[in-house]
Amino acid sequence: MNLLRKLAVALFASLALPGPSLAQDAEPDPRLVRAADEVALAYVVTGDEEADRASEAGLRGLSEVLTQRTSVEPGEPIGINLDEDDLSLLTFLYWPITDSQTAPSAAAYARLNHYLRSGGLILFDTRDGDIAGLGGPDGSAALQALAAPLDIPPLAPIPADHVLTRTFYLLEDFPGRYQGNRVWAEAPPADAVATEGVPFRNLNDGVSPVIIGGNAWAEAWAIDKRGLPSFTVGASFEGERQREMAYRFGVNLMMYVLTGNYKSDQVHVPALLERLKEGETAE
Amino acid sequence: MTGLAFDPVLPWPILAALAALALLVALWALWRGLRGWLWRGLAGLAAALALSGPALQSGTSNKLSDIVILLDDRSASQALPGRSAQTDEAVDELTRRLEAIPNTEIRRVTVGDDDDDGTLLGTALSRALAAEPEARLAGVINVTDGLLHDMPMLPATAPAPVHTLLTGQPEDWDRRLVIEEAPTYGLIGQSVNIRLRIEDQGNVPASVAGQPARLRISVDGDNERQLDLPPGVPLDLPITPEHAGQNVVSISFDAPEATPPELTDRNNAAAVQIQGVRDRLRVLLVSGEPHAGERTWRNLLKSDANVDLIHFTILRSPDKLDMVPVQEMSLIAFPTQELFMERIRDFDLIIFDRYSVQGILLPVYYENVRQFVEEGGAILVSAGPEMSSVESLNLSPLGAILPARPTGRIMSGPFLPQLTDEGMRHPVTSGLPGAPSEDEQDGHWGRWLRMSQSIPSPNAQVVMKGMEDEPLLILNRVGKGRVAQLTSDQVWLWGRGFEGGGPQLELLRRIAHWSMKEPELEEEALLADVSHDLSVTVTRRTMKDSAGPVRITGPDDFAHELPLTEAGPGRFTAEWVPPGPGLYRLVDGDITRVIAVGPAAPREFEETVATPDRLEPLAGQTMGGVLRLSDGVPSIRTVREGRPAFGEGVGGDWIAITPREAETISGQTHRPILPDWAWLLLIAGLALTGWLLEGRGWGRPATPDEQA
Repeated sequence: MNLLRKLAVALFASLALPGPSLAQDAEPDPRLVRAADEVALAYVVTGDEEADRASEAGLRGLSEVLTQRTSVEPGEPIGINLDEDDLSLLTFLYWPITDSQTAPSAAAYARLNHYLRSGGLILFDTRDGDIAGLGGPDGSAALQALAAPLDIPPLAPIPADHVLTRTFYLLEDFPGRYQGNRVWAEAPPADAVATEGVPFRNLNDGVSPVIIGGNAWAEAWAIDKRGLPSFTVGASFEGERQREMAYRFGVNLMMYVLTGNYKSDQVHVPALLERLKEGETAE
Repeated sequence: MTGLAFDPVLPWPILAALAALALLVALWALWRGLRGWLWRGLAGLAAALALSGPALQSGTSNKLSDIVILLDDRSASQALPGRSAQTDEAVDELTRRLEAIPNTEIRRVTVGDDDDDGTLLGTALSRALAAEPEARLAGVINVTDGLLHDMPMLPATAPAPVHTLLTGQPEDWDRRLVIEEAPTYGLIGQSVNIRLRIEDQGNVPASVAGQPARLRISVDGDNERQLDLPPGVPLDLPITPEHAGQNVVSISFDAPEATPPELTDRNNAAAVQIQGVRDRLRVLLVSGEPHAGERTWRNLLKSDANVDLIHFTILRSPDKLDMVPVQEMSLIAFPTQELFMERIRDFDLIIFDRYSVQGILLPVYYENVRQFVEEGGAILVSAGPEMSSVESLNLSPLGAILPARPTGRIMSGPFLPQLTDEGMRHPVTSGLPGAPSEDEQDGHWGRWLRMSQSIPSPNAQVVMKGMEDEPLLILNRVGKGRVAQLTSDQVWLWGRGFEGGGPQLELLRRIAHWSMKEPELEEEALLADVSHDLSVTVTRRTMKDSAGPVRITGPDDFAHELPLTEAGPGRFTAEWVPPGPGLYRLVDGDITRVIAVGPAAPREFEETVATPDRLEPLAGQTMGGVLRLSDGVPSIRTVREGRPAFGEGVGGDWIAITPREAETISGQTHRPILPDWAWLLLIAGLALTGWLLEGRGWGRPATPDEQA
């Protein structure tokens, strides 16, 4: 009897609620469970084998660096099939743009929008930093086509005082395999300068849901099975410096995803401690 | 009513032209010396008149009676000694006198009082005026003490004199307590001011006038203070709310002794309720590592306007190696000494979010945190898998006060968080939206994916359970402080909407605020709401299976035992009607609550001495008078409209009504002066007469032709 009822409920749920399934008897995808448990980095599987290999190797390289240098110890990177996988267990999604990519389904866009609204972050990478802006065909058209159905707030080039420049390392540029290109994030609110002190009711803690650039970061981060870089970056010593900076950007980005504007607050801590002191003397 | 009416067949100008033509013809005939000129003219005029259709119109009309509105005020202030009899007598007498005036109707209006709004005489009067035909209203007589509370609703003028007969005696006086300013909220431990004064009204006896009143002031019925305050002097009374929730300040003075006594002692006391609130709460959030749930805490605490958040995350633990020079890094040292030794008492809550013992905090710091809790602080541990490892916080000196001990087993796999029986009662978890219950598995909550197995300490309350019914959320009290522990770090999955998600912000908010002792989230609470009809709803929230009876003590050695009935898990309620105004103390076990029950109609007794001030402008506008009933019930006269309608005569005062002579027309007849054939006869006769006069020679000598 009970079984029958459950069955009926499950049947009804699957009929009534298309999209992200709420049926709770289903076993969640173990890869995604791992993503939730280990903060594993995830990338969008594009179908372009070369790009997917680079994404996987890149995120593995970044995970390695994070584990070596920071308290964050991500597990193995996870490839995400946008049309099938539930995104609510992910924190970070790397989305390389390729020409051959087909647009995800409407249900996938609904999941993506929910992911962005509930605090997830997508790094869009057009991987065309070497040719972008020269007037030739670049990735921006493909990016626009793919990102059009997403609820993306107004964007602006990342300003020099953005918290992304100081979440872990102090950075001036966000290089990948290419450098010197603009990287975009959610435009700061118009009154951002005026709000001194703790922002009020900022439910997403001011984290931009998307970061967009064309510096081919995964290629700069990528390592092979032996731990050696898979792609060349720049030339000789200069290039290695650029790769290091790419890793630092990766670390900062992950810290931004996980701690939000924590490093912005840090500025206020001395002031808050000072305020505590004053309260004491007044009493 | 009878009159001449015309119903012209042709337009008036044509008729006028016709008449003019008839006159012209007559004049021409006269000039020609025709003897029938007059008759010719008359015939023409008669024709014009016939065409204008003259008719006799008569109507039947009825004279209408005059209406007098007699309004009596029966509000609570009119029930003061003597006034009610005075009102009865006046109304009876006036009714008799008005009935004696012929052709006059009386409309009776009685005004009561509204509990909160007082006497709404203006509204009642406006309504009564609107309900009567304006042309028939001959007068309005109010029998009242003049203490109405809806001045803006009082009509500015009226079509007839508005008289007011005031109740009360000339020697009436009253001393009252006026609260000029009272705060609704106050920070706990910081004094707030209540501004008050004593006011004398009316004909105050010499033995009382100017003499100070002895004020008695107590907070929650304790520690009575006394001080003398002369009338008319404002006093700023400092009051310090001692606890969160309602602080009831009762202020009163004894009725001064004099003859005659003051009108009422009901306005000699007041109860001011001040909600004690805490200053901004200071929360220290220590995250052991950046993880997916960290921003959940930040979102919660930063969106709370009442919280000052100080957040530290261990971005790099001491065992990590990084060759990057320090000046290229944005890391600062964790100011442990300052936070955990020097400033720890400044915090209300310390949250350890996935914090593992990493050798950053010295054992003495943990000792200090323990002491902080025992002295009344709070800690909240949100533990990930590190809880089951050798770096568990439970293995630090802090472990002694944590509410659960890990077994070392990490339980991986999806599970649905559920409320325990205790959780159904506990204010932190009871009523969380979408909670799945025991018998119904299909709640709205999404699942979590891992937790640590633990053994709760004996006194702790397990309010949520997870996989295999292992404790998930455990609450406990340590010394004067509180500790809470979540054995899973995946509450953020609710925020992300995994499988529909759950109320993660609400749950975390309640846990944090419970640990900071917010009164609304106390497990054992006694609440009492005084409703408008002065009944009291007593609600007892408890973790026990039974509660009550509540012992109630009040003024004049009042004592009562109130049994409670169960209204839901951990909720027991009862309705109670206090016997009279005053402060009542409700006690169940260790919990005490003081409530102030005011008089039934507080506004009615703010002022009690009858006053003509509020109704005088309307009386002036309408030529009416304001007289005191203590001088006797005035006689009633009639005067013409626009004449002064009150005065003093030989037999005493009089007031007047203005008969309006209104009437209605009930029918009308329209009768032509002459029927059509009579007109024809008349015109023809006149014309014939003229012709005969001219032709046949009546009254003239025959012409020679005729004689031949």
